Amino acid sequence: MRKKAKRTSMISNILYFVRLMCSISPVFVITQLLWGVVMNLPSRLISVLGVKCMIDIVVSGEELYRLYYAVGVIALVLILQHVLSYTYREFYWNIAKEKLYQGLNQKLYAKAKSLDLEKYDDPEFYNNFILTIETSTDNIQNLLGLVTHYFGSLVSFVAISSILLAIDPICLTIILVVVGVFLPLSRKVGDLQMGRRRDNTRFHRRSDYFQRIFFLQDYTKEVRMHGIKPLLIDRYNDAADDVVKNQSKYWKKISFFYALQESGVQVLGFMFVLPLYLGYCVLVKQSLSAGDFVATFNGACQIAMSVNFLTVWALAQFSERGKMIEKYREFLAGDCKINDGASVAQAAAPQTLEIKNLSFTYSGKEEPTLKNINLTIQPYEKIALVGYNGAGKTTLTNLLLRLYDPTEGEILIGGQNIKDVTVESHKNRFAAVFQDFQTYACTIGENVALDVSVDSARVSQALRHSGFSKDLKQGANTELLREFDDNGVMLSGGESQKMAVARAFYKDCPFAILDEPSANLDPIAEYELNQAMLEAAVHKTVIFISHRLSTTVGADRIYVMENGEIIESGSHQELMAKNGAYAYMFKLQAEKYRQKQPSQDV
Amino acid sequence: MRFIKLHEDVKVPVVKNVVYAAKLIWKADKWLPLGYVIALASEKFFSLFIQNILFLKTLLTVIDSNGDFHAYARYLFLFLVVSVALKALKWYGYYLSHDATKKVLQRLNNQLFEKAYTLDIGCYEDPKFYDNYQRATTVLSDGYFDVLCYDLATIAGDILAFVAVIVTVASIAPMYLLFLLPVLAVFAVETLKSRKVYKRDLEMTTNNRIKAYVKRTMFLRDYSKDMRTSNIFLVLLHRFDAAIKANIKILKEYGVSLFLYSMLSAMCSEFLPVVGTYAFAGYQFIHTRTMTISGFSVVLSAINSVREATWDIAECFDELSQMALFFNNLRDFFDYEPQIRDGGKEAGSFETITFKNVTFRYPGADKNSLENVSFTLRKGETLAIVGINGAGKSTLVKLLMRFYDATAGEILYNGVNVKAYNLESLRGVFAAVFQDYKNFAISVNENVMCRECSAEDKRTAETAMRQSGAWEKISAFPKKGDTVLTREFEEDGAGLSGGENQKVSTARLFARDFEIAVLDEPSSALDPVAEYKMYENLVRATRQKTVVFISHRLSSAVLSDRILVLSGGRIVEEGSHAALMARNGDYAAMFRKQAAAYDGKAGDIDA
Repeated sequence: MRKKAKRTSMISNILYFVRLMCSISPVFVITQLLWGVVMNLPSRLISVLGVKCMIDIVVSGEELYRLYYAVGVIALVLILQHVLSYTYREFYWNIAKEKLYQGLNQKLYAKAKSLDLEKYDDPEFYNNFILTIETSTDNIQNLLGLVTHYFGSLVSFVAISSILLAIDPICLTIILVVVGVFLPLSRKVGDLQMGRRRDNTRFHRRSDYFQRIFFLQDYTKEVRMHGIKPLLIDRYNDAADDVVKNQSKYWKKISFFYALQESGVQVLGFMFVLPLYLGYCVLVKQSLSAGDFVATFNGACQIAMSVNFLTVWALAQFSERGKMIEKYREFLAGDCKINDGASVAQAAAPQTLEIKNLSFTYSGKEEPTLKNINLTIQPYEKIALVGYNGAGKTTLTNLLLRLYDPTEGEILIGGQNIKDVTVESHKNRFAAVFQDFQTYACTIGENVALDVSVDSARVSQALRHSGFSKDLKQGANTELLREFDDNGVMLSGGESQKMAVARAFYKDCPFAILDEPSANLDPIAEYELNQAMLEAAVHKTVIFISHRLSTTVGADRIYVMENGEIIESGSHQELMAKNGAYAYMFKLQAEKYRQKQPSQDV
Repeated sequence: MRFIKLHEDVKVPVVKNVVYAAKLIWKADKWLPLGYVIALASEKFFSLFIQNILFLKTLLTVIDSNGDFHAYARYLFLFLVVSVALKALKWYGYYLSHDATKKVLQRLNNQLFEKAYTLDIGCYEDPKFYDNYQRATTVLSDGYFDVLCYDLATIAGDILAFVAVIVTVASIAPMYLLFLLPVLAVFAVETLKSRKVYKRDLEMTTNNRIKAYVKRTMFLRDYSKDMRTSNIFLVLLHRFDAAIKANIKILKEYGVSLFLYSMLSAMCSEFLPVVGTYAFAGYQFIHTRTMTISGFSVVLSAINSVREATWDIAECFDELSQMALFFNNLRDFFDYEPQIRDGGKEAGSFETITFKNVTFRYPGADKNSLENVSFTLRKGETLAIVGINGAGKSTLVKLLMRFYDATAGEILYNGVNVKAYNLESLRGVFAAVFQDYKNFAISVNENVMCRECSAEDKRTAETAMRQSGAWEKISAFPKKGDTVLTREFEEDGAGLSGGENQKVSTARLFARDFEIAVLDEPSSALDPVAEYKMYENLVRATRQKTVVFISHRLSSAVLSDRILVLSGGRIVEEGSHAALMARNGDYAAMFRKQAAAYDGKAGDIDA
């Protein structure tokens, strides 16, 4: 029963796939299937019917000139087949395939972008769907080829079976019985192969990891300095031994069953039983002609091949790929929790930002990450969020950006809940620089603007504000990274960070969020960036997160977070006077600068 | 993971590299190639010759001459025995080769690991070397060594079957060879065509790389927040669409010539032989009546056999010539002589390290990273190296541990040039905590001890982790120090956050005996309080030891005995904190700027 259910879901997955392809380009799918027939059928028909026709004419000894007609027809069919299929391939298929890839990916990208960010936090979903799909879109073409080939083989199988049926029904029966009898063996081989691959992947995961340590740059220094090499090589060999054992175990069985299956179908069936019957018909019973003999024999070989392909090989492929399609299916069908509100937010001047009784728990976690947060940020204020790792600072900014929605409570901008405006318009109010900011293989202008239209003058102004000093030959049009431009510019860690901070200066919006904007900078650059930030962001409300408390001194208000709660807030002076958590942290950091400084020792 | 970039149009000698790789595999386990030869020779001989030609010929000869059914049945039985034997042989061969392939992988990997371990760090930092090295490793990770054996065996099997087929056809009527031989022209046509395709694909590489890049950014977590908070999605989508458009233009340009090549190839391999054979057989039937049905049918089958063998061989050659580049990379890798040569001397207990006018330039760089650096590090001293990004701090440390050799000047350990020492023993003097620290997917204890752990080792590891602050988190795991640091292939393994990871790798320092501790910005992933505690612990662990600190946070420099201030690869100032502050130079300026933020308003409150 279960097996049956598995098979139906496989068929429904394949159909889903075909429908999906049809939704992008129906003409492509239909012509592709026809192509499968054109590629498959003519040469098979010729090897069965052509030969029979020729031999029958010769044996009958009459109207021999008809041989020339037969040759003419064969020549015509072959020419037509080749012209058709190559015209199709070189002038339509190649190009349509590229467009199909484009269409499919646009669909997937749009979906990936609209996914709730929490999906990315769920390792299962991330590995299972996002990563699988990222690595598998190239296989789509193989799958389409498989479907095409399958369709072509199916049509040929039906056509040749009908011809054999017309020649001698018993022959067809023998063929189908032989194939049928040995089918379980084929399936056994298929199952074994699948099992081998599954176990192989499992064992390889471990050995591949240790292989990677030696192959990749990341680990070179550690491996050389700690004398850990023998242990790692031992571990690799333990894992590799398992791989070797697994391989040996499965292939012993697989080779045996393969030998049995091929001896049964190809040898016993098609080289013994069938020819025995055919020979009997031709030589003893004289019910079949020599032409029938050759046609049936050739036909039987074709059928044996197609049946093996149609029932074992292709099905194994389909069920493997079916799982991949299943993932596409679920991926594309997934719902989003973060949806548009009814109105469009104004992106002009900063408004008051209020957070009311906000709590947030990451899905799958029990402990809330944020507990009952209340705060009000006035327009143009410069706000610092400080606290230990894991205190909830970054989560709070994620909620402001509506990458997540609060579990409880609400966020209001200008008195309006941010859920009541469209996601797009809400996003346009914020410029965000993340702790793990990325550099894109685009122009530096696009990297700063993070948008299609780039105002070069404002890009260079923003870069100047952030202290970016690298001289770029082509200004805002300079390509970054060497992903695909060998002349692309590589930025150092500090320069990249300044480039990222420039994003906040460039974007014309009322709010800016900066998460650890100076983490990669040396002290002088950090100091300068702080000054620049306060100057350049005069017309914005700025919220920034920092570990280095020296950067928070100039903030209008500081919120100290601990375990998801705001435990202190106020200006630097107020918090120092309070002598609480902030003052403790600040003194710890400042202490080292004070020691040995004569002025402080007094 | 870096992507393998094959953008240069490299030509390497195919035969030489294939032979090199084949020898390597043969030495690892000869049953991989031998098994494939057994399997493919029996397979090709069976399917292309016995089944397709000989069998049909024998039976049809009996039928043609209206022979005896018993004789016919005897032939069938003979074929049954021979064929089953060939099938058994074939699968025995496959068993041998498949059994051997993972062993070859393991043995070659072991060779590769040993060699990789001796590589200079500089090799990894040289993009060109690294690209080639990555390609060399794909010979193993992508199984090219297996494909090589399979291809060679296929060629051997096909040639065997091909000869048998040609002899048979010649014995029927040599004239038919005339129609068979055009099939061989496929070699030439397909070579021309694949050259064209290669050229086309080469033109599309940049576009395809853009496509792959955009795909990555669209799906990977790293980019997910930008996608949602900015319009970078549109920027990338534009690039993607433009790449597709450019590809389509290239495809259109090549359409006509590829169509013609394909037609030519089909003419040679299918149309001419098939139609020629039919026409000639028809002619013979009608005019000379010399053609037999068996002869005609066998020749038709022979076309298929010859075509299949030819395609097969052409494909294998194509594959081999493509892989030759990778084998070449592998050979270069194994032939590479490390620049950092091992000296014989054991590095004894540490007294001094002296840099004497050391200048260093990275290979291929256009300016020196260190310029005439001289200083001496003495036993028991705490030395801080400070300076802004790019001043040469990390380079100095790399030279200290002999990851590189100085371009000019010399580095002396206890008065003797470091090149004279055994590398392993020299590096054993140092305990290093790197900025880009790494932990391995082995147990926590093993990560700390860097070896298989005895019960005593585990106790040492625990103590070390208590000191580095990692124990709090680790002791909460059910298997404590035996927890494996990965969830990739260990179900009850664990992943650690950046800060926790750093604490575990720092524990290595506390766990072992060492002469000199090298701390490269060790607190970068920690929050202020954790950083403070870690710092205290490090100071305690290294109290009697020699310590080299690298930092751009000047606060860690205050406690050092001596500070080297690097700028533009030169030592611009040197001395204790007090001395440097008194001198009022670069260091004092930097320190004041950094301290200003803490001192400014905060000072008022403390006062």
